[in-house]
Amino acid sequence: MLYEKIIALYPSLTSQDFMTVIQLQNDSDGKGDYIAKWEHPTLPRPTDEELA
Amino acid sequence: MACIINASTSAGLVQTADLSGVLQFQQNGVALPNGGVAPAFSAYPSGTQAISNATFTKLQFNTELFDTNSNYDNATNYRFTPTVAGYYQCNLTVNTQTSTTTTLIAIYKNGSSYLSGLQLPLSTFQVGSMSALIFMNGSTDYIEAYFYGSATTINSGSGGNQFSACLVRGA
Repeated sequence: MLYEKIIALYPSLTSQDFMTVIQLQNDSDGKGDYIAKWEHPTLPRPTDEELA
Repeated sequence: MACIINASTSAGLVQTADLSGVLQFQQNGVALPNGGVAPAFSAYPSGTQAISNATFTKLQFNTELFDTNSNYDNATNYRFTPTVAGYYQCNLTVNTQTSTTTTLIAIYKNGSSYLSGLQLPLSTFQVGSMSALIFMNGSTDYIEAYFYGSATTINSGSGGNQFSACLVRGA
């Protein structure tokens, strides 16, 4: 799952981060979870390779 | 023809009568869809739905209790796109299996969160309800229901889950 992969990359992220500067979304269209917003002030958005 | 009640921006209220026995409502000479009957729908999930951890997930409410104007898509996008412009009372109630954390339910308008509410944890299940009064333009505007929280499962059935809306005032 996407959340678990991101947490493995960045263990310092908090639940608050995922409700403010990061938003994961699933539109129930068969395409799965994706990053809808990544506005973290210090951590870069993970690449597709890192999330594979 | 028809007996017509027309709300005109130039002439005010205009009434035209004939012997057809048909009544039509118009705004500036344009007939309101469905004879002016206000669109309303209510839907619920017939099966359970798994939710990923910390992920806003669109709710698949795939069974209609009613859909007066065929404006709710219960098969593909699970969205309400009313064809009459105006202000809609929108309601969402969600029931999930037990989780230890408080979660969010949200009504999205045009792909972005419009309003969210809390879903409180109880001993054997969680339930949350919210409502919002939302303006819809009658053509492209749409609403959807989303859930956010720890990984869990949305329960099935209309007893604890409903997504509904109805027109309360025209544009």
